[in-house]
Amino acid sequence: MAGEEKKLTDREKELAASFQAAKDNLRKCEKQVGMVMDLNKCIGCQLCSMACKTLWTNVEGREYMWWNKVNTMPGKGSPKDWEKMGGGYKVKFGGKVMEPILGKHPTRKEFGDMWKYNWNEVISNKAGEVHLQAKNPDGSNPDWAMNWDEDQGAGKYPNAFYFYLPRICNHCAYPACLDACPRNAIYKRENDGAVLIDQDRCKGYRFCLEACPYKVIYFNFVTDKSNKCIFCYPRLEQKVPNACARQCTARVRWVGYVEDPKSIIYKLVKVWKVALPLHAEYGTNPNVFYIPPLAPPRLDAEGKLDTTKPRIPREYLRFLFGPEVDAALGVMNTELEKVKSGGKSELMDILIARQWTHMFGPFDKDPATLERKPAQPGSFSRNDLTALNNEKNR
Amino acid sequence: MEQIVCKRVSKSKSELLDSTAAFWKSGAKLKVETAATPLANQPSPYIKGVYDESKIGAVKELKLATVHNNENIFFYFEWASPKPSRAIGDINVFPDGLGLLFPMGDIEKTQIKEMGSKEYPTNAWYWRPDFKEMPKNQISHGLSTSLYTEKTSVQSHSSWDNKTWCVVITRPLKISGQGEQAVELKAGGSIGIGFAVWEGSNGERGGIKAFSKEWRELVVEA
Ligand code: SF4
Ligand code: SF4
Repeated sequence: MAGEEKKLTDREKELAASFQAAKDNLRKCEKQVGMVMDLNKCIGCQLCSMACKTLWTNVEGREYMWWNKVNTMPGKGSPKDWEKMGGGYKVKFGGKVMEPILGKHPTRKEFGDMWKYNWNEVISNKAGEVHLQAKNPDGSNPDWAMNWDEDQGAGKYPNAFYFYLPRICNHCAYPACLDACPRNAIYKRENDGAVLIDQDRCKGYRFCLEACPYKVIYFNFVTDKSNKCIFCYPRLEQKVPNACARQCTARVRWVGYVEDPKSIIYKLVKVWKVALPLHAEYGTNPNVFYIPPLAPPRLDAEGKLDTTKPRIPREYLRFLFGPEVDAALGVMNTELEKVKSGGKSELMDILIARQWTHMFGPFDKDPATLERKPAQPGSFSRNDLTALNNEKNR
Repeated sequence: MEQIVCKRVSKSKSELLDSTAAFWKSGAKLKVETAATPLANQPSPYIKGVYDESKIGAVKELKLATVHNNENIFFYFEWASPKPSRAIGDINVFPDGLGLLFPMGDIEKTQIKEMGSKEYPTNAWYWRPDFKEMPKNQISHGLSTSLYTEKTSVQSHSSWDNKTWCVVITRPLKISGQGEQAVELKAGGSIGIGFAVWEGSNGERGGIKAFSKEWRELVVEA
């Protein structure tokens, strides 16, 4: 925008190069963990959300946060209408140019604020006289929450539809949040690519909340810093899978290294190509992938199966998962048919997930084995960065 | 280099640490022009790409006065603020702010635009209306490196009236022996000084601010 036409001084050019080098350094990781979620299996029970809540966000300042949430689709999600809030990139020349897109901050009410309940009034009055009511901290009546439009579908009976979309931070390969932070507080962990916000460096400027197109970063009003999903890295370090994945009732989630040909993530994403990133057009290269929902067939006016078109409009699934969704659903249907007619399918065997220990690659230790010691968040030296910024400084 | 003279007065700290005192209101004040920080100095590709430099730096001018009483130094600031922002009420709300910047070493070698460097760091005193009149003390070794120190001897008193922020910032001249990382000041000495101001209602925070583009010389009278 403004300034682009201005001629840069030599020093400004030097600075630009050192800033770019600093960001490249923060984005670097040797290995990348990822997650696949099968939307055909999710029942919207929110156990994943509660597992995360009790583990990470039930402390002061984080109460209103849901690092894991499950939205009902097609819905407005959380924060409300996040898909219309901008951020991310316009990717040009095959990724050689990443042009950031202006984003908007969600408000705490759009996320769903920390409600207060009138417990005391209910208890101190006769049964039935006062009803339990939630209020926002400012006294107003809540009109949004983590999954406010729960089970609200689209379409008309008998062909209505909805499905659940669990969401966490995508631990992107090209994270918009990392690029946005002027403090270089956001980085990818070297050994697993988890995207973390260094709490010692974060000053609560909230550029990351603006830039993340998935709006999964929260602001902590108590510490004046930003917080987000940490991909349970302290558990991964002890080979225990993420709490949301391990707790999942329906065995919806797989965890593993994205680039390891032996991992299930690799098989689902790269070999079978049935797991797709959400809104890939945002340009951040997510490492969370979704198996799109097939949904039951439609019924015609006589109540007979109508297989001429899908129940969930394909256009909507293309909007979420890109044009690749057609091929992915094609493969799913073919493999399903194979099994229905008595055959075997490696893909269906993976998706049925008979044993939880087979779902998480090397992270197959029982949570009961966790040693609750303080974890080591960082794996690179911040001094390198400072040196980078300053080596050419006069 | 423009000079800012800090006269010695025989007034107590409680008299001077009062942003509504007639002493400040009616006394002579110096005008300091402030301008947008250059986008080229932003360590964030996002900010560089989407922010518009012509809209940064809503506050164009600060008025200031400074005195000391041989023990503490006092800075009084006034600036127009039609839409004061006092606290982080919501995720999209940013508080106003004011900063003083000092080179910790050789002024000639310390870049004000870059908040110093590894070899030539700067010390900032950072006021915000939500800091409960306890401004932060911070050390910076160049862009994107500033960190608050644990200890701070900086105090403030602020008021907003008539669409104007009035802020007094004070600190003991001498802080040696207290284990605090900050500049030493002394009567009869001089040091470089710079200023920054953030207009919260314009989304200003961090490097998005208005600042005095050049160092000035603060002369602390004996
Ligand atoms: S989803 Fe958002 S917060 Fe998470 S890594 Fe990507 S850009 Fe950053
Ligand atoms: S625990 Fe599993 S099934 Fe339940 S909402 Fe979360 S992802 Fe869906």
